[in-house]
Amino acid sequence: MLSVLIWLPILGAALIALLPKNIPTERIRLAALLVAGFTLAWNIFLLLKFDITSSGMQFLENIPWNETLGLSYQLGTDGLSILMLVLNSLLTWIAIYSSAKQTERPRLFYSLILLVSGGVAGAFAAQNLLLFFLFYELELIPFYLLISIWGGEKRAYAAIKFLIYTAVSGALILATFLGIVWLTGASSFAYDTLTTQGLSSTLQVILLAGIILGFGIKIPLVPFHTWLPDAYVEASAPIAILLGGVLAKLGTYGVLRFGMGLFPEAWTIIAPTLAIWGAASAIYGALAAIAQKDIKRMVAFSSIGHMGYVLLAAAASTPLALVGAVSQMVSHGIILAILFHLVGVVETKVGTRELDKLNGLMSPVRGLPVISALLVLSGMASAGIPGMTGFIAEFIVFQGSFSVFPIQTILCVVATGLTAVYFVILLNRTCFGKLDNNLAYYPKVFWSEKIPAFILAGLIIFLGVQPTWLVRWSEPTTTAMVATIPVIENVGIRSEDQKVSEWLVASD
Amino acid sequence: MTATIQPPTTKLPPSQHEFAEVIHRLEAGGAMLPDTPENLMQIIGIYKAYAVPMDFYWRDLLYIAERVFLDPFPFFKYFVPKEYLELHNHYAGEDADLRIWQKGEATAHPELLTFMEKGETFKMPKLLHHWFHDRINMEFAEECMRSMLWHRGMYAPYNKFDSYLDSEEYKANADKAIKAYFQGNPLMLGMYKLFPDMFLEQCRQMSYYSNLGLFWEVMAPVFFEMSDRYDAGDFKTVPDAMNFLVNGIFAVAGRPIYHHVYVRGERYEIIPKSKGFTWLYEAALPYVEAVFYRTSPFRGTKSYNAQARQVPDDQKDFHYGILYADVFPVGTAGIPPTLLMQDMLHFLPQYLVDYYHQHCRGEEDMLIQLGITFQRSMYCVTSAVIQALRTALLYPLDDPNPKHLQANRDFFEAQLNRFTRPEYGIRDAARLRDIQQQDYR
Repeated sequence: MLSVLIWLPILGAALIALLPKNIPTERIRLAALLVAGFTLAWNIFLLLKFDITSSGMQFLENIPWNETLGLSYQLGTDGLSILMLVLNSLLTWIAIYSSAKQTERPRLFYSLILLVSGGVAGAFAAQNLLLFFLFYELELIPFYLLISIWGGEKRAYAAIKFLIYTAVSGALILATFLGIVWLTGASSFAYDTLTTQGLSSTLQVILLAGIILGFGIKIPLVPFHTWLPDAYVEASAPIAILLGGVLAKLGTYGVLRFGMGLFPEAWTIIAPTLAIWGAASAIYGALAAIAQKDIKRMVAFSSIGHMGYVLLAAAASTPLALVGAVSQMVSHGIILAILFHLVGVVETKVGTRELDKLNGLMSPVRGLPVISALLVLSGMASAGIPGMTGFIAEFIVFQGSFSVFPIQTILCVVATGLTAVYFVILLNRTCFGKLDNNLAYYPKVFWSEKIPAFILAGLIIFLGVQPTWLVRWSEPTTTAMVATIPVIENVGIRSEDQKVSEWLVASD
Repeated sequence: MTATIQPPTTKLPPSQHEFAEVIHRLEAGGAMLPDTPENLMQIIGIYKAYAVPMDFYWRDLLYIAERVFLDPFPFFKYFVPKEYLELHNHYAGEDADLRIWQKGEATAHPELLTFMEKGETFKMPKLLHHWFHDRINMEFAEECMRSMLWHRGMYAPYNKFDSYLDSEEYKANADKAIKAYFQGNPLMLGMYKLFPDMFLEQCRQMSYYSNLGLFWEVMAPVFFEMSDRYDAGDFKTVPDAMNFLVNGIFAVAGRPIYHHVYVRGERYEIIPKSKGFTWLYEAALPYVEAVFYRTSPFRGTKSYNAQARQVPDDQKDFHYGILYADVFPVGTAGIPPTLLMQDMLHFLPQYLVDYYHQHCRGEEDMLIQLGITFQRSMYCVTSAVIQALRTALLYPLDDPNPKHLQANRDFFEAQLNRFTRPEYGIRDAARLRDIQQQDYR
């Protein structure tokens, strides 16, 4: 069943690539939308079939492939990955929908997007380390092409930088995976057969460090983040949505699945460092965002900050914190996607992303009032204003992490405050103030350009007022994961384990 | 696109003024607005769209001044009775004193009557139309009237109307009318005894209702006639249109301005016609000064920071009129597109609607586009007033005496200097520079 999520987009990509040249761009876009739409529908079907009481893998598929290499086509999903799969399908559809109707070289463009979607779905569903790696690497070249062909002015530089960083990330991950198999003497790369309990603590820490560094580049964590602002800024809006909304999640997912999942003992050793790292990333991301003059770059740096919360929660490893981590991944994906989409619309209509030039877009007749209003909503969501999904995710992260890492958590709370600072700067300069008479001849925003933002805004509010729809999928899985991890000793006071749903009810 | 610069026809050396091109155009008998077919089409179209609501404004202003008067609860003052809708305009219809609008009737315009019945929605009780603002927005007309009242003392000593409002004669006339109006109402008569100045001030306001009503009674048929002539192909250039206005101004300059109140069938002449107040000096000039130039610093017309003392101390330095108006709303709080623009939107000629559809956001920002067209048209009207003043006070444009021509130039430059003053951001706010560009929409 999970194979559909992988092969339908890849098959769609192949078919679109083979379409005759004379087919109009709009039809190609429609075909890509249909493929992405079917994939999303199938994903929602799987989500509805998903047993939320089970902590184990579901929808398992296992086809032997190359036993000599220990490679098998093993797929499965649990509470950690099911939401990531849905997020991937949703944002793929949104990215295609928000792409320009007259994109150049449309067959290649949409094929690459669908290829990325299939690859990412494969990575989230893979239950074999080598299979994961294959899918993980599958998105590398398409993303490189998507940035370098359809990107902005400095696209070549940004794409090469992205390629180098991601290739190093892949190499580190592959080396670590090979190390795990060789050192544990396992006969295959199957995730469920691997155990690192027999390895010394030092070896475990070294291998875990490889995982964290490899995926840390992808997240990215400071100081491995320098590829991100360039890639996000130079990529066109639909590709930035995929980069920020989906690709970065592969990093945090990898840390949780392969770092915490395979090295529970080493995790307790390295967790305090990770918590500090997460807090430092959060603070750095926020401060760097405040200093930006380009709104897209500002949003890009905000992403670095928000991914720091996920690392903090993962380090804390309490049931609540892990649910918070998964929630934050979903929430961040949605919020970042809407932000990049809106920034893309602003850039298309106004012709600039510079804070010093933008002004008065809230103007009801000649401005972009709906886009501005949605930008305000997205900024509020990102800053963690109650009633929106950003608040739920961040609050669960902080509530779950505080008992273990109080100082780091407080630093992240400060970073949330700083998020409000840069979004106030962004919104104040962009949306409010006086519309310049000499410049304000912006073309109108079409409904088709508003629809993706409305969908994402609807999700932001829905998950904000109905948080159980955000947390219930991952709770059993994260609880089971935490059970394998020894108690992390730290200055904090560990709170009593409490089921998240009970906590949410108690909070109400 | 900029209009072709007309070479100066005078014998003077070229003006060194910042707006030398406009000065030369005025000296050649033109307007501040460049003479292009597109400008002509825009201003005539908007005059027509303005004239229909104006036909309502003047009727209602007179109704309020003459009948509603000092009603403490004037809830229904915008519900013009049939008597005033059928009131004969003195400049239209067969029984006109001076028939300006040749083809038109003296009673309310047919398009106005249709709109009053259905609005932009559908036929429903008047009160619902009123509450939904699906009606002619008299608030705009009242704002203009109030502006004239606030900026008292304009054009003195030519304008004698204003000083008359403080005279003992006026107070005595008003006293009679007030006492008659509140006859049998001891509460209001008691209030009048306690606060006579408050009632007098309200009465002065009513006199300005009448003043503005009588002013617009002339302008509505003028604009209708201009529209008809344009449709017939009689106007070829912007100066043609402006000259029609100048001629009209002189034709009706002596029209009396008065204020009568009707109480229980009896007429009280608060400002009798016999005082000799005239349309040009007591209504037109103060109106242009108050409404086109000054008005009041309500939000939306111009960005300002009152705390930074960007609002002038002296009212004569106010610059919030249509000639300076920034028709883009400020943030979300702006008033423009004003209620007038909303009113004009309902009566645009088709050629103007088609024109707007071709530019900017078409239907979506038509209010802004027509607002800027209105701004252009009011620069044309102001040009007509400037030319009329020059005719009245100075010399012909083809005067052979260079000294006279220099006096004319000094006058024109002094007028345009109003748009170049650096104080309070006046220079940046003035739209004279913008309207020289066709792309300013």
